[in-house]
Amino acid sequence: MNALVISAVLGVVMMFSGILLKQKSAVRNVAIAGMVLLLIVNVLELCGNVFFNIDSKGMIEFDRFALLFNTIVYVSAILYLLLSARDMEKVGVNYAEYLALIFFILCGITLTSSFRSLLILFLGIEIISIPLYILTGSDKRNLKSNEASLKYFLLGAFSTGLMLMGIALIYGAQGSFDTTRVSSFQGTASPLLVAGMVLLLFSMAFKVSAAPFHFWTPDVYDGAPTVFTSFMATIVKAAVFIAFIRLFDEAFGTLQSQWQLLIAIITVATLFIGNITAVFQQSVKRMLAYSSIAQAGFMMLALYAMNADAKEGLLLYVTAYSLATIGIFAVLIKMKDYTFEGFNGFAKQQPLLAATTTICLLSLAGIPLTAGFLSKFYMLKAALGTGKHLWLVIFAVLMAAVSVYYYFRVIQAMYFKDGEVQKIDVSPAFKWTLVVVTALVVLLGVFPNLLLNWYYF
Amino acid sequence: MKNALNIVYLIPLLPLVGFLINGLLRKHLSKSMISVVGCGTILVSFALSIVMFLQVKNGDGGTIEYFNFISVGELTIPFAFQIDQLSSLFLLIITGVGFLIHVYSTSYMQEEKPEHFGRYFSYLNLFVFSMLLLVMGANYVIMFIGWEGVGLCSYLLIGYWFKNNEYNKAANKAFVMNRIGDLAFLIAIFWIIAKTGGVNYGEVFAFAPKLSGTDATIITLLLFVGAAGKSAQIPLYTWLPDAMAGPTPVSALIHAATMVTAGIYMIARSNVLYSLSEVSMNVVAIVGLATALLAATIALKQNDIKKVLAYSTVSQLGYMFLALGVGAYSAGVFHVMTHAFFKALLFLAAGSVIHAMSGEQDIRNMGGLSKKIRITFITFLIGCIAIAGIPPFSGFFSKDAILLNALLVDSHDGSFSIKGIILYGVALFTALLTAFYMFRLLFITFSGTFRGTEEQKHHIHESPAPMTIPLIILAVLSIIGGLIGIPDAIVKGGDKFTEFLSPVIAQRAGHPVSHSTEYMLMGLSTVLVGITIIVAWRQYRNYKRKEATGFAKVLEDKWYVDEFYEKIIVKPLHNFGGFLKNVFEKLVVDGLVNGVGRMVNYGGRQFRLLQSGQVGSYVLLMVLSMVIIFLVQFFLRK
Amino acid sequence: MPITHYIILSLALFSIGIVGVLTRRNAIIIFMCIELMLNAVNLLLVAFSKMHNYAAIKAAADQKLPITEAILNTGSEGQIFVFFIMVVAAAEVTVGLAIIVMMYRNIHSVDVNFLNRLKH
Repeated sequence: MNALVISAVLGVVMMFSGILLKQKSAVRNVAIAGMVLLLIVNVLELCGNVFFNIDSKGMIEFDRFALLFNTIVYVSAILYLLLSARDMEKVGVNYAEYLALIFFILCGITLTSSFRSLLILFLGIEIISIPLYILTGSDKRNLKSNEASLKYFLLGAFSTGLMLMGIALIYGAQGSFDTTRVSSFQGTASPLLVAGMVLLLFSMAFKVSAAPFHFWTPDVYDGAPTVFTSFMATIVKAAVFIAFIRLFDEAFGTLQSQWQLLIAIITVATLFIGNITAVFQQSVKRMLAYSSIAQAGFMMLALYAMNADAKEGLLLYVTAYSLATIGIFAVLIKMKDYTFEGFNGFAKQQPLLAATTTICLLSLAGIPLTAGFLSKFYMLKAALGTGKHLWLVIFAVLMAAVSVYYYFRVIQAMYFKDGEVQKIDVSPAFKWTLVVVTALVVLLGVFPNLLLNWYYF
Repeated sequence: MKNALNIVYLIPLLPLVGFLINGLLRKHLSKSMISVVGCGTILVSFALSIVMFLQVKNGDGGTIEYFNFISVGELTIPFAFQIDQLSSLFLLIITGVGFLIHVYSTSYMQEEKPEHFGRYFSYLNLFVFSMLLLVMGANYVIMFIGWEGVGLCSYLLIGYWFKNNEYNKAANKAFVMNRIGDLAFLIAIFWIIAKTGGVNYGEVFAFAPKLSGTDATIITLLLFVGAAGKSAQIPLYTWLPDAMAGPTPVSALIHAATMVTAGIYMIARSNVLYSLSEVSMNVVAIVGLATALLAATIALKQNDIKKVLAYSTVSQLGYMFLALGVGAYSAGVFHVMTHAFFKALLFLAAGSVIHAMSGEQDIRNMGGLSKKIRITFITFLIGCIAIAGIPPFSGFFSKDAILLNALLVDSHDGSFSIKGIILYGVALFTALLTAFYMFRLLFITFSGTFRGTEEQKHHIHESPAPMTIPLIILAVLSIIGGLIGIPDAIVKGGDKFTEFLSPVIAQRAGHPVSHSTEYMLMGLSTVLVGITIIVAWRQYRNYKRKEATGFAKVLEDKWYVDEFYEKIIVKPLHNFGGFLKNVFEKLVVDGLVNGVGRMVNYGGRQFRLLQSGQVGSYVLLMVLSMVIIFLVQFFLRK
Repeated sequence: MPITHYIILSLALFSIGIVGVLTRRNAIIIFMCIELMLNAVNLLLVAFSKMHNYAAIKAAADQKLPITEAILNTGSEGQIFVFFIMVVAAAEVTVGLAIIVMMYRNIHSVDVNFLNRLKH
């Protein structure tokens, strides 16, 4: 409960800081300090020190899983701010407001990771989505940003409608929004409940950009200002996935036989479309958008498997994915040209940045000794644990092999091709933060238990 | 001695440290510092490997667990090293040959800028690290990590001279083909997990008898595809000759002595699984033999000194797979060892030739080098004799063991099966081809008159000591390396090698042939190889460029017998080699690879069209899929 | 009136909303159709709320149990949910209309078919 309250308060503080503080660097420092504070109070709660004990009537519960995930989110967010907060200045004049919105999104994330009631799930998802519509359109004069924002808004509101209809049907069948009461029914499940479950599946699949509900993703990620794409594609996506797995574990765990096949179909479609389409992109930014769909396909395997390994593996996966993607986007933001050719000869000009980007890309591609390999391994192992559908695992491995192609295109451009990259200037602090991100990616690739042990204590 | 295992982690760790130092500080270190770090780490690893080897010899091998790498549910994968007969032998080969190649490189790469020099050595060290991880790992996952690592390093080293677009393509090709193999390996790992519930060698092999026949076949075939990718077997072999784009010492280290033997190691390691599947064994043997033959015929026609050696590597690897396929695992591993010696020697000597010729690789522009670069010539000659299989050079013993085992396959009571005779015949024929193209290479390069430019002629010189000393050491090893595996027929109990490996490798319960038969077979192969070499000598000792000689000179040349050979044997073989190179490689292999690419391409383009940019069509597609899913959910399910 | 009537009415409204989203090109109308979908849900929630409330009271009466405060309040969470939806919908309207206005300022149109810069 600590982080929930503090993040909401910090959002308001950030709005005022825009008025009270003249310098942007001061605003930024407040934001980073606030984020560190969030992390500290959350870790304190993980260790058992709860400051705010609000009676939520059982609608919110901060268990180990939620708290550990929140910690991951805040660490990622701190790294994100350290790397990219400076670049938000280029988007528009409302600097403090962007940061405030990010804090509100974090508040929503804190809700979605700890909900016990469908009401809280709905609120959390909306608190995440509405600020994102704004951030997507924050580059007001840019038509692409406009377009992305409107598309995102229309499709997002549509999926909200689906989600609400699903919740209403479930309420009709079970008489409660409480996840434990949703999952308890006698005999066979009523059609209302199943229909509601399927509708919720659609809307959650939409939010995590799983095929065939992924269409908004490439356009929105491409059109949004790159700093915010980075945030959307990593932390937000991870949060929605955690909500997804919680929902299907706690509320629909008893309906597993009903949804397992559907999720398998969605997983296959997502893996296929994400990977195959990513191959043909000319812009690295758009390639990363498709890659995020492809990675979502892998995370869907956890939902499909839905066992203890899967939840654990998903935590590792979202961490590996978020860190690596933040690292790549941080470099991409600095580039003037987002095409693959724009990276030609990058290794000569910025050897360190090229090396960190390479390791992050290797992690996304799932090359051993990076966190990406282990997280994929966990996912596949979890899927194997179900004891059926071996073909799903083989298909996923095949698709992972395809993904190597487009990730290596970037590495090849950086190292093996000559070209004139426009000079980019980065501070030493930026470089060191990137090194830390990369080191984390490698560290988790060798000692995944450093993270996962927190889950058990 | 027992506690020597406690420091086994240093063996892979040192090259890793070398990689980090050379990689991070390459701008600040001088070339000599880089050389010292690069070679020194490998040397210490080599010393430690010797210690490990002695320890294993005393029967004190074992598995050392460091930490729990992965634990998902009931599956626990420790980060553990396994030091036993097989791995300690590979350790010796990798660090020993690797060290010599490092030393050689310090001189060969001398002209590079310090920064590139550092990068080169850091990649080389990283490669050795990955390879060590591959052979030391105590389970398939660690092996896979090393497996991917060597693939990556090979990619980096082939693309080392990245200015050249051709090299880029070669690097890509190597990477893609390796990835296909890796993919099969990965699927095999998951299959193993699904069926046996573990990945540690001990667990898997203990469980193996309970595996169903189909599962064993699928697993072993998938593993074989992985091995074929890494060890350049049909149809995934074309990357290896192209990979010659890298610097010559890299070719020696990666594409001859170590990386390509990873596939052999993997299959030898999994011999328990392979023994369960007759089908897989046959596939391995046939693919290996076909590769050996195909590559040998192609090698006949090559004029690039490194390309000849590359195809010869493919061919020799095919030989090793043949050995594995007929169940003669220790013969296969024995050939890995002798091959590492003489192939590294040949490559390094070729590097020395290229060095002397100021970068020229086309043997038609060489000739008569034997007097000018004496040491290189003699060592190269030793390499050729070793690979051709003349006793008592090392290649003879390993090749002989493979031939004999091929003949003995399915044999009962001293009579040979048809399959065994066919395998033996083709393998022997391949051995003759090998002798022929190797000596063709030797004679064209070293005898006759010089055919290059004046400038090149002026520049010819023997390589410096850091290059020649590794050559001499490898030459000595190529001569005596086979003596640890003398067949019982010659010296009773002479086959120390098989004896050493016997705890980890299942022995065939074969019917040994009588000693007289064995003598006869040895004599036969030796005599045939000798004749082949004489043919090659007559054919090529005074090689002249066709375009330079003209019709008159052909008449002057009175060797009608050469013409005869030319027409009856050499020409058809050349044509056949050319046919295979052009038709098989270009159409079938590349066609297959490109075809898959095109299919993906087409599919991808169609799928991109779905992303039309119109909100309306997005909603329509979403609603349609919702309707379909609802239909599936409520009507199509039972 | 049995609950099925409410369900059918709500689903009809909801479907009209979906069809509207599918067929219209004007961003504001699409948005109104989405609002229609949300209001269909509101209606359904209130109907279910009443249904559960009635069922709980009837069950208690049938078993001759005292009608407590808790039983009288059964189903109230459905109605509370409706308020939340209203609040969130209001927030969405604010943001959504702002985005549409922003688009109108830049391209002087609210036709979504003009949004096709980002594709493939």
